[in-house]
Amino acid sequence: MATIKVTDLRKEFVTDTSTVVAIENVSFEVGGHEFVSVVGPSGCGKSTLLNILSGIESATRGTVDITEGDRQAKLGYVFQSARLLPWRSVIDNLLFVQSTRGPQVRARCERYLDMVQLAHTARQYPGQLSGGMQQRVGIARAFSIEPDLLLMDEPFSHLDAITARSLRRELHAMWQETRKTVLFVTHDVSEAVELSTRIIMLARGGRLVADLPVELPFPRDPASDAVALARADLLRRFESLDLLAT
Amino acid sequence: MTTVGTFRTLALSPPGRRVGSLLRHPRAARVLSWVGFVAAWQLVVPFLPTDLVPTPSEVAVFMWNELRMETVAPHTVYESFSLSFQRLGVGLFLAFAIGVPLGLLMGLRRWADWFLHDFVVVGLAMPSLVWALVAGMWFGFGDLAPVVTVTLAAVTFVVINVAEGVRNVPKELLDMSGAYGVSRYATIRHVIFPSLMPFFFAALRYGLANAWKGLVLAEVWASTEGAGWVIKFWYDAHRSQGIVGYALFFIIVAIFIERIVFGRLSRWVFRWRPSDDRRTPEPEATDRDEAVPAAVPAATPGRQ
Ligand SMILES: Nc1ncnc2c1ncn2[C@@H]1O[C@H](COP(=O)(O)OP(=O)(O)OP(=O)(O)O)[C@@H](O)[C@H]1O
Ligand SMILES: [Mg+2]
Repeated sequence: MATIKVTDLRKEFVTDTSTVVAIENVSFEVGGHEFVSVVGPSGCGKSTLLNILSGIESATRGTVDITEGDRQAKLGYVFQSARLLPWRSVIDNLLFVQSTRGPQVRARCERYLDMVQLAHTARQYPGQLSGGMQQRVGIARAFSIEPDLLLMDEPFSHLDAITARSLRRELHAMWQETRKTVLFVTHDVSEAVELSTRIIMLARGGRLVADLPVELPFPRDPASDAVALARADLLRRFESLDLLAT
Repeated sequence: MTTVGTFRTLALSPPGRRVGSLLRHPRAARVLSWVGFVAAWQLVVPFLPTDLVPTPSEVAVFMWNELRMETVAPHTVYESFSLSFQRLGVGLFLAFAIGVPLGLLMGLRRWADWFLHDFVVVGLAMPSLVWALVAGMWFGFGDLAPVVTVTLAAVTFVVINVAEGVRNVPKELLDMSGAYGVSRYATIRHVIFPSLMPFFFAALRYGLANAWKGLVLAEVWASTEGAGWVIKFWYDAHRSQGIVGYALFFIIVAIFIERIVFGRLSRWVFRWRPSDDRRTPEPEATDRDEAVPAAVPAATPGRQ
C-alpha cells in the first residue's frame, strides 16, 4: 500500500534553444490502494510526471514522497514503449528486474507471461515478437515484481481492442485482489472511467486542472449507461477547459 | 520457342552457348575469371624477359612444400605464423587494455573528448608503415617493435569505437533498469556491455586489419623471425615464388579470420538480432503495424 505525496512539482527541460515547462506547480496525494488515472492531451507532461515519480528524471522544484510503511516502495513501471533488452530472451527480461532469484521467482515470471498470453514466447528474443507482443511483455515485467506502486504509461494504447480489453480486466482483477496503488496514464477517457477511483487531469503546460473521484461501483461495464454518462461528463469538462486546443 | 530464343540458338554454337549461360551465373563467372587469370599467368610468364616472376605452378609447389615443412628458410611456415600471431595477440591485447579505458573516458567525459580528439584523428590517419618504422627505430630487432607496432596501429580504432559505443548506450534501457532498481553490476553486465558489443567488434575488425599490415612491415624491418620477416628472407634469396606464396598465405589467413572466426563469433554474439524467418506468428489478432523495431538499440537517447 504505497502512498504518494507530490508537492509544488515543477519540471523544466532546458535545451540549447528553448526552455519547455513540462510540469507546472502540480500537487496531489494518492492513498494506498487507489487507482488514479492521469489524463490529458499529448505533450502535457504525463510521461514526465511518471518519470519523476520513478526517479528517472529529477524535478526542477518541489518534492515527491513515496512511502510504503517504513521500507522503500517497490516500483513497477510499464513504459510508453516496451523497453525490453533485445539481447535477452523474454523470460530473461522478466528475470532481469527481479531482486531475488530462485525457482519460485521463475515460476512467478512464467505465470505473468501466461497472463499476457505469451508463455509460448518465453525463450524467444523480443525482436522476434510483434510490437503489441513486446508491449505485453513490458506489462508482464511490471506485474512480475509484484510492486507496491504500479506506474503505467498508456500501456494498452498500442494493442488491439480485444487484447486491450482482456488486459484491462486482468489489471483490474489484480488491483482488486492485491490492492496495490496504481498510477495509470491514458488519453482514453473511457478507459480511465472504467478502471479508476480517481482521475487527474493535466492541461498543456503541465498544469493540474482537475482532480475528480469516480464514484461508480465495480465492476464497471464499459457499455453501461453509468460509465457512458461519466465519460460524457469528463469529456465536457475537457472541452470547457479547452484542454484539447493548442 | 520464341523468335529471340531461335535467334540466340542460331547465333551461338553449342559450347559457346554453354559458356554464355555459365557467365550469367555469379559464382560460375567468378570461378571462371580466376581460372582464366591463372591460366593466362601460367602462359605469359615463360615469355617474360626475366625469371623473377614465378608461374602459378611454381608458387603452388612452393606453398605445398612449405606446408609439408620442406623449406630452406630458417623456420617453417607454422612457426613463423604462430610467432606472428603471438605478437598480434599481445599487441591487440595491449591496444584493448589501453584503448578501452581511454574510450570510456572519452565517451563519458566531455573534457576527455576535447583533450584526446585530435590525437585520435592523427592516430587514425597515420599509415601503419610509420608506426613500424618508428617502433623499429626505438626498439631495434626483437619482439618489442612488432608488438608495439600492432598496439599503436590498433589502439585508436579501439578508443574511437568504445567512445562512440558508450555514447550510444540506449538511454531508455538505462532508465528502465534504474526505475526497477537493478544493481549497478547487473546494469553494466546486461545493458551497457551488450550494447557495446557491436562497437567492440568494429574495433577488433578495423584494429586487426590495420595492425596486421603494420605487423608485417615491422617484421620485415625490425625482426629476425615471423611471417613478415620470411617474406624479406625470400626477397633476399631472389625467390619470387616465396614472396608470392607467402602473400597468399597471408591472404588465406586473413580470409579465414574474417569469414570463419569473426563470422561465427558475430553470429553467436548477435544471435538475438531478428531475421524475418525467425519471427513468431501472433496466435491472436494484434496490430502488427505497430511493430516496434526494439531489437536494434536506439542510436539516439530515447524520450517518450
Ligand atoms: N528529455 C526532454 N527534453 C526536452 N523536452 C522534453 C523532454 N521530455 C519531455 N519534454 C517535453 O515536455 C513536454 C511533456 O512531454 P511528455 O512526454 O511528458 O508528454 P506526454 O503527456 O507524455 O505526451 P504523450 O501523450 O504524447 O505521450 C513536451 O512538450 C515535451 O516536448
Ligand atoms: Mg507520454
